[in-house]
Amino acid sequence: MEGLWLYLSAALAVGIPALATGWAQSRIGPAAAAALAEKPELTVTVVLLIAIPETVAILGFVVSVLILLQGGG
Amino acid sequence: MILDMSRIRVLGPREDLQSVLGRVQDLGLVHFIEPTETESLCLPYFTPQQEQHLRNVRRVVEDVDTAINLLGETPTLSRRAIEALALPRAALIAGRTRRKLEALEERRRQLEEERALTLKFQPFFSTFEKITTSGLDLDGIRVFYLVLRGNGEQELSRMRVALRSSLGDGFELFTQPSASGESAMILAVSAADAPKTEALLSEAGVQPLSLPDQFKEGGAASTIQRMQARLGELPRDLAEIEVERRHIATARGRDLARIQASVQDHLATIMTMGKAVVTPRAFVLEGWIPSAVRADLERCLQQSFGDKIEVEEVSSEGWEGEPTPVVLKNPRLFRPFEAITRMMPLPRYGTVDPTPFVAVFFPMFFGVTLGDIGYGALLAAIALVIRFRSKPNSKLRSVSEIGLACALFTIVFGFLYGELFGDLGHRLGLHPIIFSREEAVLPFLGLALALGLVHIVIGLCLGAVKTFRGDRRRAIGRAMGAVMIVLIALALLAAFEMLPSRFFTPLVIAVLVAFPILVVAEGVLAPIEFVSTISNVLSYARIMAVGTASVMMAVVANRMAGAFGSVVVGVLFALLFHLINFVIGVFSPTIHILRLHYVEFFGKFFSPGGVEYEPFRHWSPREGAV
Repeated sequence: MEGLWLYLSAALAVGIPALATGWAQSRIGPAAAAALAEKPELTVTVVLLIAIPETVAILGFVVSVLILLQGGG
Repeated sequence: MILDMSRIRVLGPREDLQSVLGRVQDLGLVHFIEPTETESLCLPYFTPQQEQHLRNVRRVVEDVDTAINLLGETPTLSRRAIEALALPRAALIAGRTRRKLEALEERRRQLEEERALTLKFQPFFSTFEKITTSGLDLDGIRVFYLVLRGNGEQELSRMRVALRSSLGDGFELFTQPSASGESAMILAVSAADAPKTEALLSEAGVQPLSLPDQFKEGGAASTIQRMQARLGELPRDLAEIEVERRHIATARGRDLARIQASVQDHLATIMTMGKAVVTPRAFVLEGWIPSAVRADLERCLQQSFGDKIEVEEVSSEGWEGEPTPVVLKNPRLFRPFEAITRMMPLPRYGTVDPTPFVAVFFPMFFGVTLGDIGYGALLAAIALVIRFRSKPNSKLRSVSEIGLACALFTIVFGFLYGELFGDLGHRLGLHPIIFSREEAVLPFLGLALALGLVHIVIGLCLGAVKTFRGDRRRAIGRAMGAVMIVLIALALLAAFEMLPSRFFTPLVIAVLVAFPILVVAEGVLAPIEFVSTISNVLSYARIMAVGTASVMMAVVANRMAGAFGSVVVGVLFALLFHLINFVIGVFSPTIHILRLHYVEFFGKFFSPGGVEYEPFRHWSPREGAV
C-alpha cells in the first residue's frame, strides 16, 4: 500500500506540472504563431516564451525522481 | 569582444567631397552618421537636377534588381571586373531587359495557370464526354457544366423540382459519377431560359464550372479533345520560354551584374553625400571607425589627397551617451557562436560581448545533456557534411561549426558516462568514468546544478563589472549576490557532509553577514531578486532532466532489438527509435540551452540595444554593401 502512494505521488508530481505546462503552452502557442506571421524576426523570443513554462514540468520531473529515490522505489 | 570605436570628423574642400567618398568607400571602414547642423554648417540641399538624377538612379536600381530576380542566378564579378557604365546606357539595358523578362514571366505564369486549369477540368470533361456521346444534340442550346460533391442526390432532386417549377419541361439534366467521386452534370436549357437558370443555380448554391476562354465554345466532346491537344502543346511553350530566359541570362547576365554593383555604389555615394554638412567652400563628415584602423584611414587619405583632407577624432565628452555602432570581434574558434549572440539584439557599446562565454558553455551543456559517443559521432558527420557544402561566412557554415563543437563535447561526455547509443556501450565493455546516467540520477542532478551555479556566478560577476563604472553601489550588490550564492552552495555541501561539517556554522554566519550588505547595496527588492537568482540556478536541472530522458529512450531502443520475435524486425525498430531519439536529442537540448543562456545567463549582465555597424563600402550581391 505504501508503494502505491509512493508511485501515485511521484506520478502526480510530474503529471500536474506537465498538464499546467501544456495549458500554458496552449495559450502561448497560438499567440506566438500569430506574432510570427506578422513579425518573423521574433522567432527567438517566441521559442523562449514557449520554452519558459517547461521549467515547471522539468522541476516536477526532478521532484518525482527524488520522491522515487528517497522512497526506495 | 566589442571593439573600441573612435568618433571621427573628416574635413576638406567641398569640390573634393565625391573623390574623398570614393576613397573611403574603397576602404569600407567608416560608419557615417547624420550630421549636426550649426549656424555656419548646413546640410547640402539637392538642386532639382540632382533630385531628378537621384530618381533616375533609383529607377535603374529597381529595374536591375527586378531583372536579376527574374533571371535567377547572375555571375559573381570580382571588384576589378566592375567598371561603372554610363548611367543612360545602364538605364537603357536594365529597363529593356526588365521589360523583356517581365513579359516572359507573365507569359509563363499564364501558361502555368492554363495548364493547372486544364488538368483540373480534364477529369470532369472526360465524364461529360461520356454523357454527350449518349446522343445529346448541343446545337442552339445553352449548356451548364456542374459538379456536385458526393453523389449529390438531395441537391439533384431539389434542383429538378426547382427547374421543373420554373422551366416546365424545357430542360435536360444528365448526370454521371466522376472518377474523383463527385457527380458531373450537364444541364441543357434553351438560350432564352439561360438567365433564369443562372439565377436558380445561384439560389441553390451551385456554381457552374467556369471554363478557360479557349474552351468555352463547342460541346464537351470537342472540348476534351482540345484540352488533350493543349496539354501536349503546353510543355513545349514553357520550354521555349525557358530557352528565351537562358538566352537573356547569357547575353545580359554579366552586364546586369556590373550595372547592379556600380549603380548601387553610386546610390550609396549620393546618400552619403547627403550626410555631409557644408559651407560654400568646405565639407564636414562625421562617423565611427574601429579605433585600431583609424590610422589606416588617415594614411590612405593623406596619400591620396595630401594635406587637403583633415581627419580628427572627436573627444568622448562630445559623444558620450550617443548610440555607438557595435563591432563584435572574436577569435576564429569563437566566431561561429556570434550567430547565437546575434539572435538577440546586439549588446550596447561599452558593455560585455557574451560570445566567448556562449562558445564555451553552449557546446559544453549540449555535451553534458546528450553525452553519447554514437550520437556525437552521428552529429559530427552531419555537421561535417553541412560544413563542406556551405559557403564560407554563411549562417549555415556557422551552424555546422557550432554543431561540430557540440558533437565534440557529446563524444567527450559519452566517454565520461560510458554511453554508446545508450547502454550498448556497457554491453560492449565500455565503463563509465564519472557515473552512469541510467543509475546515478542524483549525481547527474548535482552536476547540472553545479554547472548552473558556475554559469550564474559568472553572469553575476560580469554584471558587477559592467555596472562598476556607472553605479558602484549596485556593482557591490551584484558581487554580493554572487558571493551569497557560492556561500549557500558551500553551506549545503557542508550540511550534506560533502564538505567537513565544521564549515557549516561559519558559512551560515557569512551568509547572514552578507545579506544586509546586499539589501543596503541593491535596495529592499534585493531579496526577491536573490530568490529569483536561486531559482535560475535550479532551472539548470533541465540539463539533467532532458539528458536522463535521452539516455532512457536510448535504453528502450536497445531493448526493442530483443523484444520482437524476429531479430531483423527488432533491429529495424531499434534503429528507427534511435533515429527519433537522436533528432529529439539534438533539438530539445538546443532549445533548452538557448533558453538557459538567453534567460538565466544573459539576464544577469546583458544590455541589448547596440547599433549595427554599417560602414560605407562597396556593394556585393550577398551582403549588400561590402
